[in-house]
Amino acid sequence: MKVRIDADLCQGHAMCALACPELFQLSDEDGHAYVEDENVPPEYEAAVERAVRSCPEGAIQTS
Amino acid sequence: MTEFSSKDAKACPVHFDHHTVDHTKQWPETYRKLREECPRAWTDNYDGFWVATRLSDIVGVAQQSDAFSAHKEVDFENGTSTGGVTIPPAGTTRGIPNEADNPEWEGIRRFINRRFAPRAIEERRAKAKQFTAALVDMVIETGECDFVDDLTSALPALVTMEIFGFPLDEWRKFADPFHTMVFTPIHDPAFAETVRGLDYFRERVDEEIAKRRIEPKDDFLTLLATGEINGEPLTWQQIRDLSFNILAGGVDTTTALASNALIWLGRNPGERQRLIDDPDLMPFACEEFIRFYSPIGALSRTAIKDTEVDGWTIRKGERVLMAYAGGNRDPEAFEDPEQVKIDRFPNKHVGFGAGMHRCLGSFLARMMFQEMIGEVLRRLPDYTIDEDGLRQYPSISGVNGWISIPAHFTPGAKVGAVIE
Ligand code: HEM
Ligand code: SF4
Repeated sequence: MKVRIDADLCQGHAMCALACPELFQLSDEDGHAYVEDENVPPEYEAAVERAVRSCPEGAIQTS
Repeated sequence: MTEFSSKDAKACPVHFDHHTVDHTKQWPETYRKLREECPRAWTDNYDGFWVATRLSDIVGVAQQSDAFSAHKEVDFENGTSTGGVTIPPAGTTRGIPNEADNPEWEGIRRFINRRFAPRAIEERRAKAKQFTAALVDMVIETGECDFVDDLTSALPALVTMEIFGFPLDEWRKFADPFHTMVFTPIHDPAFAETVRGLDYFRERVDEEIAKRRIEPKDDFLTLLATGEINGEPLTWQQIRDLSFNILAGGVDTTTALASNALIWLGRNPGERQRLIDDPDLMPFACEEFIRFYSPIGALSRTAIKDTEVDGWTIRKGERVLMAYAGGNRDPEAFEDPEQVKIDRFPNKHVGFGAGMHRCLGSFLARMMFQEMIGEVLRRLPDYTIDEDGLRQYPSISGVNGWISIPAHFTPGAKVGAVIE
């Protein structure tokens, strides 16, 4: 599984980091979310899916 | 033989009713006890529901939007409803996007999110500043005011009217029914009356939408009148439900937040001076007041399938009350949770909810809070609260707010700001 964050849609609600703090980070500069590596380790797939469902902006995509 | 429903086997039955005056008086204590003794409590009130008071459980429910529904089903013929985000469901008024599930929810938030994003809200700040200055102008020479009537209920209503594009001089007629509705106990005969007060709002929405269809402007009503969700124009019902949610969600909540903050700062002059000396603390203070007072104390979901949240089984059809106010004082998540620390950081409260329904208006609320409190601290820095005149909402099941906060201060000069 791969995960991407649409920087235009993301507004920094941090719901993704609440769902999966291991992968989602929030930028200190602008509060936007990012992931260091878009490849999701299998043990975090369920948490990433929870993050997708938790984002108020629909900014997280998986493939 | 009697057949036991799953409800009879709940491990932790309690008596809990968030609509009572007792609850208003002792909610921090009630939630503390539940969290410690019975964090997943079951009560038979209002056809039965779970009460979740731990922060991690609340987040767990809020994040599983595929298992927990917020959708409200309205039966207009019989005037009843099921589901939605309140327990019990209130009448036939539905708010969207709050009381919508996917795929409906996604279409609506995509349609409106941009208008409430940080950049769009920053563009509104100058107007909010001007309105706040004008409201303080109206009382500053007299040396006394009622913070609720004169400031905290006025400013959010004015800013919201401005965003929508409603005539500003009608703000009181729009805001009053919402204000009264949230604090009138549902058991009170006056409740039905206040709900009818919302009819004025619906009529005015319909009228202005019809006008915008003929003559579009650059406002939110025009977006509602002429925009499309998934390639379709909005129906009249969608427009009403959306406007209702934004007005109901935005007006009285921000009022309650600023009201509680003003009372607390009035009672803690040392901390007030700290905030005056160091205005950079304002954003942290704002989050802390949201955490501590939880303007929206609790909202609900309904399980649409048997679901597990960290070892807690919720059966299909059962309702869950997420006690945001309880989670926000959870010692597992916050150090000294019963204390206000205006520089608390990090502060991962759920005062704006959690998961996809997380508040649309969080940036707007913070902006309005900063403008109101900032203006009071600059121009009325020595105010004192008239404790005997304080009047709290009798029921805080909707919003944890105040009807009246009389205050005195050293009179000052007007700056000549106007509301227009
Ligand atoms: C301090 C002020 C505010 C507080 C404490 C607050 C609190 C909340 C909470 C707890 C939710 C989550 C609902 C749920 O879990 O079902 C929410 C959602 C919402 N809020 Fe706010 N709110 C505030 C201000 C505002 C403002 C100013 C607006 C105006 C735009 C607004 C509009 C909404 C809307 C439309 C939703 C529904 C979002 C959705 O379902 O996707 N709120 N708010
Ligand atoms: S939840 Fe969505 S909007 Fe919020 S920070 Fe994460 S990606 Fe951005």
